[in-house]
Amino acid sequence: MTGAMTISSAMQDYLEVILELSEKVESVRVTDIASRLNIAKASVTQAVSGLKGMGLVAQERYGLVQLTRTGREEAIKVRNRHRTLRKFLVEILGVDYRIAEKDACLMEHVVSPQTMEKLIQFLEKADRTENAGIFPRAISVKNPELYNGEEVKRMKSVNTRALSELKTGEGGTVMRITAKNPVRRRILEMGVTLGTDISVKGKAPLGDPIELLVKGYHLSLRKEEAAHVFVEVQQ
Amino acid sequence: MEAAQVIKKEAQVVVALAGNPNSGKTTVFNSLTGARQHVGNWPGVTVEKKEGQLFSEGKAVRVVDLPGTYSLSAYSEDEAVARNYILLEKPDVVINIVDATNLERNLYLTTQLLEMGANVVIALNMSDELKARQMEIDMKKLSELLDVPVVRTVATRNQGMKELVNSVLQAAKTKKKEFLRVNYGKEMEKELTSLEKDILSNTKLAEKFSSRWLAVKILEGDESVLNELIKYAGPKQIFAGREDAVKRLESMWGEDIDSLVADRRYGFISGLAKEVIKRRKSAADRASTSDRIDSIVTNRYLGIPVFLLAMWAIFQFTFKIGDPLIGLVESLFEWFGGAVMAWLESLGAAELLISLVGDGIIGGVGSVLVFIPPIFLLFFAISLLEDSGYMARAAYIVDRFMHSLGLHGKSFIPLLVGFGCNTPAIMATRTLENKNDRLITILINPLMSCAARLPVYVLFAGAFFGARQGMVIFSLYLLGIVLAIIMGVVFKRLLFKGETSHFVMELPPYRIPTLKSTFIHMWERGSAFIRKAGTIIFAVVILVWVLSSLPAGVEYASQGSLLGRIGGFVAPIFSPAGFGTWEAAAALIFGVLAKEVVVGTLGVVYGIGEAGLSEAIALHWTPLSAYAFMVMTLIYVPCMAVIGAIKRETNSWGWTAFSVGYTFVLGWLMAVLVFQVGKLLGLG
Repeated sequence: MTGAMTISSAMQDYLEVILELSEKVESVRVTDIASRLNIAKASVTQAVSGLKGMGLVAQERYGLVQLTRTGREEAIKVRNRHRTLRKFLVEILGVDYRIAEKDACLMEHVVSPQTMEKLIQFLEKADRTENAGIFPRAISVKNPELYNGEEVKRMKSVNTRALSELKTGEGGTVMRITAKNPVRRRILEMGVTLGTDISVKGKAPLGDPIELLVKGYHLSLRKEEAAHVFVEVQQ
Repeated sequence: MEAAQVIKKEAQVVVALAGNPNSGKTTVFNSLTGARQHVGNWPGVTVEKKEGQLFSEGKAVRVVDLPGTYSLSAYSEDEAVARNYILLEKPDVVINIVDATNLERNLYLTTQLLEMGANVVIALNMSDELKARQMEIDMKKLSELLDVPVVRTVATRNQGMKELVNSVLQAAKTKKKEFLRVNYGKEMEKELTSLEKDILSNTKLAEKFSSRWLAVKILEGDESVLNELIKYAGPKQIFAGREDAVKRLESMWGEDIDSLVADRRYGFISGLAKEVIKRRKSAADRASTSDRIDSIVTNRYLGIPVFLLAMWAIFQFTFKIGDPLIGLVESLFEWFGGAVMAWLESLGAAELLISLVGDGIIGGVGSVLVFIPPIFLLFFAISLLEDSGYMARAAYIVDRFMHSLGLHGKSFIPLLVGFGCNTPAIMATRTLENKNDRLITILINPLMSCAARLPVYVLFAGAFFGARQGMVIFSLYLLGIVLAIIMGVVFKRLLFKGETSHFVMELPPYRIPTLKSTFIHMWERGSAFIRKAGTIIFAVVILVWVLSSLPAGVEYASQGSLLGRIGGFVAPIFSPAGFGTWEAAAALIFGVLAKEVVVGTLGVVYGIGEAGLSEAIALHWTPLSAYAFMVMTLIYVPCMAVIGAIKRETNSWGWTAFSVGYTFVLGWLMAVLVFQVGKLLGLG
């Protein structure tokens, strides 16, 4: 999955933290990373310059750290592994979530792609049986293989972009919404939830707002709002 | 009479209508209640309350139309109103109008209604459009899975209404005990169960709310619910547990609790939809008629020309057809007033009484009714735009431009209409969902120079600026627009600081509007204006009449009248603006009746009528003071009809007073600025 480039576990942790911070604050500083990981600023500076060398982050003067496109993709991959593992530990094995959090942190760096794939399949099945009580038939989707396949595909392709950057006709799956309330809640209520397929139908004549197709209806968002919705673009 | 007695005798069934905007809710309401409607406001808010009645099987059913909402999270006034009504008034049945062609998003509201414990009947509306979309909905299964009755309706053609009423009456007889439980997943369910236990142990809470709903809301951190709960004893320990639970869940999923809840709800719905929707062909495979229309209407090159054409058409329709009708109403009342006055005179009535009846009362009613033609026409046009689906596109097309001014795409039409008349324009702000956007649009609307101000400009510009009068008049229109933009930004910064406006808007499919709902909409607006704004207008007319006619025996509106004395008294404050005379002050006071009255008043106070007015003005004024006076006329205090409309639309005397106050201060400041700067430049 990572191909030619191998990134050490420590570096992966850095990427994950930078991603997380960048979704919360406008600009990430070395100080933020240091205080988040509870380590010395000097070590962070060193690590960041290492990441820079690998083309994973870009650092301007004054210490602002930014993920490059590749860096962002790597970080999302790590985070997805982290979440899947944590979910498995907590929900299936019943591990205390604090311990699960720590373990997932360690496991995410070493687990093989194949194990991840199987794990995702397993969790999908578990989700289905868990909900089976309410809608037995709704959940037994006609073709479960397809469903799993989609999920795996989603994990593999990590071409995540903001909705506002997509061209007309492009679309993908919603991965993250970073908007703040009340806009956030309104976006969610209108059906733009995680895992939903969404595509860009067009743009207003002046270029903003944009028209989207979601859950079979047409929704418009200003670009500034769409910039807070990240989708994984289907190739 | 008989009907009224029935209502009193029978225990009434109360039914609330809930549904998404564009789900055809209003059409269902009109279909159910016909003309038996009453429009008012929900107490304390600017949200409109519509009620109606229907009779079936000898039973009177009261139908309350709740505002159209996508959710009940109470982030907006609309949602708060709808939610509080269902929670606190507990209607016997809630009819949930669901757009069959947009099932998933519509069911989001349904799940919330069901969680709240509402006794829901689903009206699966627009079912006729399913066929064209190659879709089918298994109604029986939908009904089974949600455990509520589902009725197929096509409200625009009155189909399914009888079945709906029957189903509602049936449902009213049964009280549901089991409510729908959306499965929020193992981890969240654990927290919900423990919250529910806490709630159920508190009898006061358990009596009032559905414990499941409350548990979800507490977990979700719904602010209005948490605030409401503080009133009850004992929820402290409930809250304490909540914070830990939320932290745990959020860190576990790496998402905040809002997303998790919405996510699970939609997950439940998508499972449900998979179960009940049968698609013969994917809807995306073929371009629908709606898409084809959009390919022209929102086209990159054609979109703006089409938009401008539509706006031009609305303006022309409202005022080109409206003006002759206004003239008709005016002359009708003039004739009627004259006839009544002559009749009273022949009876030998006192002069004061004759004037009161003629100038005061009949004149007052006339000045209310004069606004009816443009209001009816404008709302006819707006209703067509809304029901057809173009309104959303218009907002979509112009939002980029309006947003750069700090406004919303939907502010455009009210501001445009303001150039004709600010009264219907302010009423048209109803289309704005966000309260702040609406308020800002209302507040700056009077700065759009309405048609009634034109006669004042024509008089003064004609008297002083000769060949350049066109440019002078244009400069006033421009000044109004510039000030509106500045004030819009100022209000946004100062009054609504930190409150965000957003543009998360549905673009509904194009539909052919029905004449019935268009006419009902038009009638509602027109009659609401007469009832609400009418009283203010009438009161102001009478007040001005009293001021002009007293003390007894004085000549109408002369210097000796109360008005003249007040004019003389306040005149000095206009000295820095160059028109500190009692005549100018009196004209401005009269101008509150309607801005064009300024011209007539000047005719009266200079004692020459309107014919020789231009010469008289040239004698008493200078070009600079005339320009300052025009600026004042443009900006100062909206006319009483506008004040009435502002009161009605903001539902607040505070905002009404603010709007009067700020326009006066701004008008005075600008007039003084013009005069003083002009003097410095040696133009005086």
